[in-house]
Amino acid sequence: MNGIVKISWRNVWRNKRRSLVILMAVALGLWGGIFATGLATGMVTQRFRIAIERQISHMQIHHPKFIDYDEVKYHIPEAAELVSHLSSDDFVMSVSARTMASGMVASSAITAGVQIIGVDAEQERATTRFDEFVVDGDYFTDAGRNPVIVGKRLADKMKIEPGSRLVLTFPDMQGEIVRASFRVAGIYQTTHTQLDELRLYVRRSDLQALVGEGEPVNEIAILLNDVEHLSDVIAQLKNRYPELSIRSYAEISPEVSYMQEMAGITYLVIIIIILLALAFGLLNTMLMTVYERTRELGMLMAVGMNKKRVFLMVMLETTFLTFTGAIVGILLGGGTVWLTARNGVDLSGVGGDTLTDFGYDAVVIPELHTSFFLNLVILVLCTSFLASVYPAFKALKMRPAEAIRKD
Amino acid sequence: MTKVIRTENLTKVYNHTVVPVHALGGVDLEVEKGEFTAIIGPSGSGKTTLLNMIGGLDHPTSGRVFVGDTEMTALKESKLIDFRLRNIGFVFQSYNLIPVLTAKENISFIMLLQKRSKEEMEARAIQLLQEVGLTDKADVRPQKLSGGQQQRVAVARALASRPQFVLADEPTANLDTQSAFNLLDIMQKLNEEEHITLLFSTHDQRVIDRARRVIKLVDGKIASDERR
Ligand SMILES: Nc1ncnc2c1ncn2[C@@H]1O[C@H](COP(=O)(O)OP(=O)(O)OP(=O)(O)O)[C@@H](O)[C@H]1O
Ligand SMILES: [Mg+2]
Repeated sequence: MNGIVKISWRNVWRNKRRSLVILMAVALGLWGGIFATGLATGMVTQRFRIAIERQISHMQIHHPKFIDYDEVKYHIPEAAELVSHLSSDDFVMSVSARTMASGMVASSAITAGVQIIGVDAEQERATTRFDEFVVDGDYFTDAGRNPVIVGKRLADKMKIEPGSRLVLTFPDMQGEIVRASFRVAGIYQTTHTQLDELRLYVRRSDLQALVGEGEPVNEIAILLNDVEHLSDVIAQLKNRYPELSIRSYAEISPEVSYMQEMAGITYLVIIIIILLALAFGLLNTMLMTVYERTRELGMLMAVGMNKKRVFLMVMLETTFLTFTGAIVGILLGGGTVWLTARNGVDLSGVGGDTLTDFGYDAVVIPELHTSFFLNLVILVLCTSFLASVYPAFKALKMRPAEAIRKD
Repeated sequence: MTKVIRTENLTKVYNHTVVPVHALGGVDLEVEKGEFTAIIGPSGSGKTTLLNMIGGLDHPTSGRVFVGDTEMTALKESKLIDFRLRNIGFVFQSYNLIPVLTAKENISFIMLLQKRSKEEMEARAIQLLQEVGLTDKADVRPQKLSGGQQQRVAVARALASRPQFVLADEPTANLDTQSAFNLLDIMQKLNEEEHITLLFSTHDQRVIDRARRVIKLVDGKIASDERR
């Protein structure tokens, strides 16, 4: 056994040039595949983090009907008590209670359908760091009347700037249409330009005063200290408030978690295609090797090396060849990911605004998961197995008497 | 005397569907322990074919081969390989050695397949290297050895497994006179001192003169068989 390992390993280096060529092919193929996977994984993770930390939060609470009807009258009963209960939970980092209304915005230029979100400035800052999105003007700092923060895309379309006036129209608690004048306090821009065009942010107290009837809250977004506790917290809350809709980010935005799963599968498929191509190269190399060694294989069988060992020898040789290349490729690929992860890779030159339109940041921090490497090693193993079976069977077909006789 | 090899009416027909070649036409042969036998005959007379049958490398068309008490011709392929490993030493005309192993590793290789202990392998390999006069070449790979040295390693390798007999098909064919004599000396010495049974084919008159028994094949039949 030991001896066969030794022979196989040394056989790899018998035809150095040929082995190096295929080895380089494996290494380069994996290098590319690994770096591409690192970039794509980084993008998905970033998208995931942005979606959670800056947009959805870990979980949200609504009146069950609000989700379907989106009307301010479907508010969370005794929201204040719920918010204070949540704030005292050790697992909860921050809570933002929002009052929401669907309506229209009109300026002197155009009219557009919008979602008006009334937030508490401090709560929203703590939960989504919304203040950081404000690119022009202020984030609810001065005490002026009815301030509104408008997305950049919408502001550009409506040709408005901080200081401009807008008229918002929306139904109140009774379903009566309310019209109110707001003053643009700031312009915000997130990585999700499509949503930016839709959402207007106002002070919760202003909106509550306009819709009437107490202080309705339609949405409570909760950010936890650690996503690990998510299911526990949800279970507890559901137990305590069975009449409310309490959903995790995955339920609110299934595409966010699907995206992660799908992305993982997509990269594996790409790696499999790369490996499959390499398998043909390996197969070719091993077939050449086996044919070249007809006599030697015949001699080995003649003197008593059984088929199992001959098979093993060819398999091992292929595996050594593949893994030497794979290790080089993994080191190169892993190294590239590690190096570029420090400063990130700026893709704005490649993707331009398209990336930000879909909620990505233009600077991607490549990353790889341990599970990816595990899958990779298994796939490489499968590749070398696939590439070696046929040549190994060819090696078994040699008849010692004939192999030796040939001159 | 114990018989090591016995063949019964051994025949071999190649290509029996197209143009049949009768390579062996009924060979009855007995080899006793410790014999030093040369098989001679013109080219195409069936020497290689006979050795291949006796070595279990090929199946006869009819007839049987016994090694000791075992009917080798009745063994299945997988059993046959193992039988060869444990009972027969081979020296071929060329391509005897594994290029990636050193002389010593080549000698140990058979013992490794036999799963001998490390100590035994080491001791036997060193002893055999000494017997074939290549102690100083222990760690050299075959391509750095001369043809004669390679054949001596092959003889050592064939003996490493302590086989019942050693088959050698034209072992000196590729050697110059000096190397050929050298190899023969070693084979003869091993035969005399260790009572190794040796059966080899040759064209070479120099070799024939050394043999104690000479079997002449003509057209696949034994034409003469003399002990001297
Ligand atoms: N695989 C084969 N297929 C067809 N015919 C074969 C095959 N092997 C050998 N023969 C024929 O069988 C006969 C005996 O061949 P063999 O090789 O045994 O002779 P040999 O005495 O060893 O000859 P040489 O001295 O040239 O080595 C020859 O006529 C040869 O052509
Ligand atoms: Mg011959």
